[in-house]
Amino acid sequence: MTRRDTEARAASRRLLATSERELQRIVLDMHDGPVQDIFAALSQLQVLERALAPDPPSQERTQRAIGLLERALGEIRNFIGAFRPPGFERRGLSAIIEGLAVQHETLTNQAVELTVPGDLGDCALAAKIAIYRILQEALANGHRHSGAMMQRVTVSRRDRLITLMVSDDGKGFDPERVLASEADVGVEGGHFGLRGIQDRVAMLGGRFALESAPGRGTSLSITLPAG
Amino acid sequence: MKAPAVIRVLLADDHAIVLEGLRALLDGEPGIRVVAATTDGADVTRLVEQHKPDVVVLDLELVGMKGTQVLAALRARPESPKVLVLTAYTDGEALRSALDAGADGLALKTESPQQTLAAIRQVHAGQLVFPQAARRWIEGRGAAAPGDLTPREREVWALMAAGLTNPEIAERLGLSDNTIKFHVQHLFSKLGVKNRTEAALKFAQRR
Repeated sequence: MTRRDTEARAASRRLLATSERELQRIVLDMHDGPVQDIFAALSQLQVLERALAPDPPSQERTQRAIGLLERALGEIRNFIGAFRPPGFERRGLSAIIEGLAVQHETLTNQAVELTVPGDLGDCALAAKIAIYRILQEALANGHRHSGAMMQRVTVSRRDRLITLMVSDDGKGFDPERVLASEADVGVEGGHFGLRGIQDRVAMLGGRFALESAPGRGTSLSITLPAG
Repeated sequence: MKAPAVIRVLLADDHAIVLEGLRALLDGEPGIRVVAATTDGADVTRLVEQHKPDVVVLDLELVGMKGTQVLAALRARPESPKVLVLTAYTDGEALRSALDAGADGLALKTESPQQTLAAIRQVHAGQLVFPQAARRWIEGRGAAAPGDLTPREREVWALMAAGLTNPEIAERLGLSDNTIKFHVQHLFSKLGVKNRTEAALKFAQRR
């Protein structure tokens, strides 16, 4: 690798950490502002809704307002779930991965069978971020497209290499077709797709393997240097 | 005949508008009464002492004193009230810190306040109110190592406890020696043990 490549790669890693810090700030603003306001407004509206029992048209109008605010709150819940960085600087990789599995189950009701050692050893910030975001994307894809009840996640470490495997017994798909269709999409609705997973792996000098076929489930495997 | 019991609730949240809204909602509910409310974490134990609430609804991000510290202080009391943590975060860390600090339940600020109301009644009735996904931690509450054992790891654990060597276990299960080594490694780390003897001991002590 040339010196220029090395510098470009280091710069990409710094950018990755910076964008996570920005996300942290945005999520905190959402938490301290809209979440508290909407939750408080809903509490008040529910009191009002009860008091309006003698006036059915007004009560119904209030119920509609409550429904709309609950929907807005639900969207914020998904937004915070998807974007809040999990304390990359404070926490170990195993704890972060376990937390992500629990969050996926909480938000989707799809089970995650997780195998991860209690301690994955030291790991550079950029690698932690990449593994977390890749796993998050893989789980989201598996939930949206596989139709499977459960996904299996296995993380292991050998010397300086960390391997992440995500698989399901769901519908499967044709990887080449999906990758081709994603070529110019970029980040859409917070999801960076298979192409994004590949890009993140490449940025850190890792390996990416995807096995899938219609009706045969999906298995994604990535290996990254710990830093 | 005894009068129906009223659930006495203390609210602790760093947002005054949330306190105002929840108080209005709860006070309008039959069988529930808000006895005190505060934005200051350092105030909670004093208010508990004074008002003896049945349930404390506790935001983890309070001014003055952190929610988890407040929780620990409440747990140290001889007659600790039930504690329902109220948070906006669904991630594992929020869930885990509430569980580890000894909360009885978790309600989300990103769900309808009606859910908070239902959760207050549930924790008061003695239920643990956590998302289904937290079961892996609730089952092992107090255990040092995170994560569940997979069915295969359980098999390996049982055979190891019976005194079999890795090659013997490999043969019994029709797997390679390396695969067994891999399972044993995971098993040790999940159980928080250093060797086979300790693992066998833990096997004998399991419930």
